[in-house]
Amino acid sequence: MNPGSEPVGLAKAADRLPNRGAIRWFSDLVHGLNNFCLNLSMLALVAAALVLTSSVALRYWLKIPTDWQDEFSVFLLVGAIFSCGSYVQSQRGHIGIEAVAPLLSPRVNKIRQFICDLMSLLFCSFFSWKSWTLWHEAWVDGQTTSSTWAPPLSIPYGLMSFGMTLLTLQILLQVIEYFYATKEETQ
Amino acid sequence: MSELMIGFLYGLGTLVLMFSGMPIAFALGLIAVVFMYFFMPGSALDTVTQNVYEEMASITLLSIPLFILKGAAIGKTRAGSDLYLAIHAWMNKIPGGLGIANIFACALFAAMAGSSPATCSAIGSAGIPEMRARGYSPGFAAGLIAAGGTLGILLPPSIVMILFAVAAEQSLGRLFLAGIGPGILLIGLFCVYAMWKYRKEYNAALVIYEQSGVKSAHLNVTEYTTPQKVKLLGKVLPFVVLLVGVMVALYGGFATPSETAGLGALLAMILIGATYRIWRLSEIKPILSSTIKESTMLMLIIGMSLLYSYVMSYLHISQNVAEWIVSMQFSRWVLLATILLMVVFLGFFLPPVSIILMTAPIILPPLRAAGFDLIWFGVVMTIIMEMGLIHPPVGLNIFVIKNVAPDIPLKEVIWGVMPFVALMALAVLILCFFPGVATWLPNAVMGSK
Repeated sequence: MNPGSEPVGLAKAADRLPNRGAIRWFSDLVHGLNNFCLNLSMLALVAAALVLTSSVALRYWLKIPTDWQDEFSVFLLVGAIFSCGSYVQSQRGHIGIEAVAPLLSPRVNKIRQFICDLMSLLFCSFFSWKSWTLWHEAWVDGQTTSSTWAPPLSIPYGLMSFGMTLLTLQILLQVIEYFYATKEETQ
Repeated sequence: MSELMIGFLYGLGTLVLMFSGMPIAFALGLIAVVFMYFFMPGSALDTVTQNVYEEMASITLLSIPLFILKGAAIGKTRAGSDLYLAIHAWMNKIPGGLGIANIFACALFAAMAGSSPATCSAIGSAGIPEMRARGYSPGFAAGLIAAGGTLGILLPPSIVMILFAVAAEQSLGRLFLAGIGPGILLIGLFCVYAMWKYRKEYNAALVIYEQSGVKSAHLNVTEYTTPQKVKLLGKVLPFVVLLVGVMVALYGGFATPSETAGLGALLAMILIGATYRIWRLSEIKPILSSTIKESTMLMLIIGMSLLYSYVMSYLHISQNVAEWIVSMQFSRWVLLATILLMVVFLGFFLPPVSIILMTAPIILPPLRAAGFDLIWFGVVMTIIMEMGLIHPPVGLNIFVIKNVAPDIPLKEVIWGVMPFVALMALAVLILCFFPGVATWLPNAVMGSK
């Protein structure tokens, strides 16, 4: 079980993208969004810790009922997790079972990794599409959670949709990088 | 297609996707979606994302990132080596005291950080060189730290236990308490072995000294003055207060488990700032980003594992396998042994997170039918997964030790951990004969179920 590693020979695949043009722009955009989401998620994590701590203080010392803190923390943490899925993928940080990799030749390994990326792309694209559908339904119907605070469900659904879309774009970028790296190797 | 065939294909498909090297989270999600498409009503696909969100939006599950933050904050400081040095100074007089100090340091650090690899790394980087300098054999020193690190998933707050509580619908507070007795049992067993092994190595060193005059480091004596001991204690006391404070908040009824996670994370950040002067953004950012990275990876696996289990349950795969297991009419102990062997086998390939969430719908009904207490089983399963952290072929802690002490050959590390694997198996046996070791404390604190 290992964090997915860059396939042999593709470690610097991102560097092999053209320096100009749409692909480079797309790559910069995804990396920029990843960094932005990472920074925002770090803030959300600290904010969740603060909110949950404050709820203990409010309830026990100030005798103020706490009805929104748990849900607010859930929104913060769900948002942080989904929006950083792409950053983690950019670091190949989603773990997979790499037991077969050492048994294969580098060439076959590259193809295996490429197929894995394609299947991941397929799943994440589907998940993103369904997330946006869910968000749209929640937005149009004005759906809220069932708690007394009742915040709109479109907020966490929106964060999930955005995060999964960014993750899909990140995997797409890695597939494109694979093509550029392979092209360079065959030249 | 028969339910049996669907179940077979589901298992086969999972194995193929997993072993392809695809990220576990996406592999589980993909296989679930494919089977939804072929074998469930068309509308099921529309609820995929809602299912994942609803399963993940549990404040208990989402306390995991905050527990990870607490561990990452403490793990990034010198707290591990300070803790180890302080305990060593106080246990110096006991035969094998250095080894015992390492075990205690691992247990305390694990309880604060909640992570096995972080514990191995933090205590091992100070403890292994010190033990080797005092003549401990490399394999013994490595084994002590690797095994001590595993206590991280047994002592509260344990991420493995949070997941088990969610999957088995058991009280998290009760489960946390149930881990303490077996944790102390394991610490005791490790300490007895450390003393015995030390005595053996010490006697061998003494014989060599008497025969050839070559003095091993085993025979050197180090003394600490009382002011030195007190000074060392001062550095670790705040962290012990944090550990106790968080437990009091949880079991004193002041905070829910998720609030405890938030409180613990915040206090840990404040403590590392006050004790180790970690205030700058450049120092705090790596703690937060590593937490986000680990949490995202883990939570996506959890979300997709829950979707995977949902599909397995909808297609009656888990129920059929559970019914088949019950129909085999195994005696309850054979049933338990079979299930635990399966967990050991799965531990060769899968992280504990996936093992719990994927197998819970299958193994829990037969265990419940056989009359096992699921809180007790949660503890036993956790110890089995602890074994998975130190036995080959995966043995995550073995590889952490190889990083901390690269000059110790892998073979020696593996032989060094084997006695501890046996001690953990012994602990499981003791728990089978005396379940009260796990169940007494939760019953005493929270009342009988």
